[in-house]
Amino acid sequence: MTHADAAVKPAAAGLGGRLIGLLAMEAILLALVVVLVFTAPGFATLGNLLNVLRTVSMLGIIAFGMTAVIIAGEIDLSVGAGAALAGCIVAWFAGAWSDTIGSGPAILIGFVAALLAGAASGVVSGKVRQWFNVPTFITTLAMFTALRGAANLITGGFPLATFPDWFFFFGAGALFGIPFPVYVFAGIFLAMHFLMKYTGFGRAVYAVGGNAEAARLSGIDVYGVKTMTLAITGMLTAVTGTLLASQIGSGVGTTATGMELDVIAATIIGGTSLFGGKGRIWGTLLGVIFLGCISNGMTLLNVSEYWQLVARGAIILGAVLLNQLLERIR
Amino acid sequence: MPAPAIELRGLGKVYDGTVALAQVDHTFEAGRVHALMGKNGSGKSTLVKILAGAVSPTVGEVLVRGERVRFDSPRDAFAAGIITVHQELSLVPSLTVGENIYLGRLPRSRRLGASIVDWDRVHRDAAALLADMAPHIDPRAPAGSLSIGQQQIVEIVKAMSFNPAILLLDEPTSALATREVEQLFELIRRLRARGITMIYITHRMNELFAIADSCTVLRDGRLIGTVAMADTSTDAIVEMMFGDIARAERPARRRIERTGPILAVSGLTRQGAFSDVSFDLHRGEILGIAGLLGAGRTELLRAVFGADPFESGTIHFGGRAMDRPAPRTMKRAGLGYTPENRKEVGLVQILSIHDNLCMASNGMGLTTRAREAPRVARQIRDLAIKLANPMQPVSSLSGGNQQKVVIGNWLNTAPKVMFLDEPTRGIDVQAKQQIFEIMWRQAEAGLAVVFVSSELEELLEVTDRILVMHHGRLVGEVNPAATRLSELYSLCMEGAR
Repeated sequence: MTHADAAVKPAAAGLGGRLIGLLAMEAILLALVVVLVFTAPGFATLGNLLNVLRTVSMLGIIAFGMTAVIIAGEIDLSVGAGAALAGCIVAWFAGAWSDTIGSGPAILIGFVAALLAGAASGVVSGKVRQWFNVPTFITTLAMFTALRGAANLITGGFPLATFPDWFFFFGAGALFGIPFPVYVFAGIFLAMHFLMKYTGFGRAVYAVGGNAEAARLSGIDVYGVKTMTLAITGMLTAVTGTLLASQIGSGVGTTATGMELDVIAATIIGGTSLFGGKGRIWGTLLGVIFLGCISNGMTLLNVSEYWQLVARGAIILGAVLLNQLLERIR
Repeated sequence: MPAPAIELRGLGKVYDGTVALAQVDHTFEAGRVHALMGKNGSGKSTLVKILAGAVSPTVGEVLVRGERVRFDSPRDAFAAGIITVHQELSLVPSLTVGENIYLGRLPRSRRLGASIVDWDRVHRDAAALLADMAPHIDPRAPAGSLSIGQQQIVEIVKAMSFNPAILLLDEPTSALATREVEQLFELIRRLRARGITMIYITHRMNELFAIADSCTVLRDGRLIGTVAMADTSTDAIVEMMFGDIARAERPARRRIERTGPILAVSGLTRQGAFSDVSFDLHRGEILGIAGLLGAGRTELLRAVFGADPFESGTIHFGGRAMDRPAPRTMKRAGLGYTPENRKEVGLVQILSIHDNLCMASNGMGLTTRAREAPRVARQIRDLAIKLANPMQPVSSLSGGNQQKVVIGNWLNTAPKVMFLDEPTRGIDVQAKQQIFEIMWRQAEAGLAVVFVSSELEELLEVTDRILVMHHGRLVGEVNPAATRLSELYSLCMEGAR
């Protein structure tokens, strides 16, 4: 692409073209919802919509962190296993310490421990990247296996049903009629949106992913920034893991199997570039809801699970192609 | 007398109304080593590109061994028996020397009805070629395990495997150590004995006398003349390259605060890059560093900035010893560095002009576009950056304006010292002048600048003092007001007056 091209293009596409380019994802999501309202039986009921929201919240919380990781030019494949481990850690503390210090403090300590473990796994991936130049694809793939193993070591392979009744509220309960995880999801959306847009750290994430050497020569701590995005994602994974454990009512070593792929898919559908340097938290929000609506809609339409998988694959590929097309219009 | 290897008749090239090469008539005799000299912009590279088939001439014609040729692509030049060995190595490091030589045309044999690579023949043929030209290189060794000099030799062996009559050697020694240069010359002499014609491009004057038979000089797109190396001298060639130049106007001298240096570098050494470099820099001073490509200028700047390590020596910044400099700590101390390759590492091309201008000055804390806006607006105004909207991608700007964004990014950190590494490379005359004015204005306000440029005229025009680097060492310091361009050039090339 020549310089002249780039300078001329926005003008040539016109305001209308640019608007379509900018709001394409919004328009597609809206169209999907309208279609589902009219075709999918029971889609437009309050109960169903809240159910969709609860489901997407779990993966969405992690997807906001994943967005930062991918913008920084890295990837985290360990989030599904990390979520399972976090749930098992909380369950273990609830089982081991409730009798001595009470279930509330035990679960709180367990949650803090899960957060620390999540952050630590992110820091390890970041530091291995920095010191040994091992791509995070590899390190987090190793984590993907190791954390899953660790989770099962804690539970011994059986669900750890150690929670008191009140704990179910966080994953399965509702406040003012809205599922509790949705509040967490909304809060983390706002926090991550703010972090990425209104802090020097957020800007540095874009710079680091767009051109790591240029960022380094601008005096930005490239690996510090990358490691921080991985640590944030590790902690968000712990939040989701805890909510999932609460929803299921136990710590299970096999929870959230395959979740990493859904999280990455939602991020990419939301327009984040796997090459780094490009993406929006808002886009990921749309991507997460889009993926949730599609799954829910297809289930309501009685589409077989196998076809759902095929459709999902097509959607991921289509979204990437669409984003590249839009990039040319913008 | 045999037909000349190459004959140029009225050869000319015009790029967008700029004459790069004007009506050149010349004959390169067969079986000799012809040096081609000229400073940047002399038309030397245009001529080489035409002979390599990379660009077509606007007017005139080329005759190869008496026959008119027309090159529309490098393939045509290839077919006419002209092969170019480029400055950048093109070997695949993980493949063997033999496979590199026959890359893309590996000999095949048929076994069990399938066509498979005949590795025995690859290495046998490669060994035969190497035995002839470079017997110390093992055809089965991975190319990456060879020294740069040996790789350069493999490049030439590879070129020779096509049996060319003419070789274009584009600065083959620029990355080589002295001993390796001698091995390369050995090969060149051997090829000359076999009747190969070579056109040899270099910036290193002393090499000419060691290897070339004649030297052809271009200046401002014109052929100045050809001399036999036996009847000429360095001074005569430099005179031909530069001619009489009107000294550009310098602004009135500024005050330089000589009260204690802001930056003091002492005995800085990194094996293979620079050794025992010491210099002081004062507030308000513009210090030039001259030297040929590979003299260690960029490596020195990057080491002081903390982008690359060094082995020994000390750096004092503002009186404070910087033990292990890193870009982050040096930035905090007040040092800025604009890298030589701005496109690749000076800017984040996919981000906006706005974001690129705030990259170095944003901390990790709260910030908003509105809060950054004054910084962006100031640099756009002060540096006269031409743009439609600061939110447009920085990649949409011209080279000169991109360079200003790189500089503006650093000026926003309110630096005390700026290192500008080749800030004028590849930008137009007007933008260059603007960059000079930025330097003068900033120096007037107390900024100390280190300015590295391969354009010696610029250094003479802009700086207060010039250090000369040669093979990683500081070999001289000159006063630009009392130095002629040809003197500076000789110093850069030979490392001594």
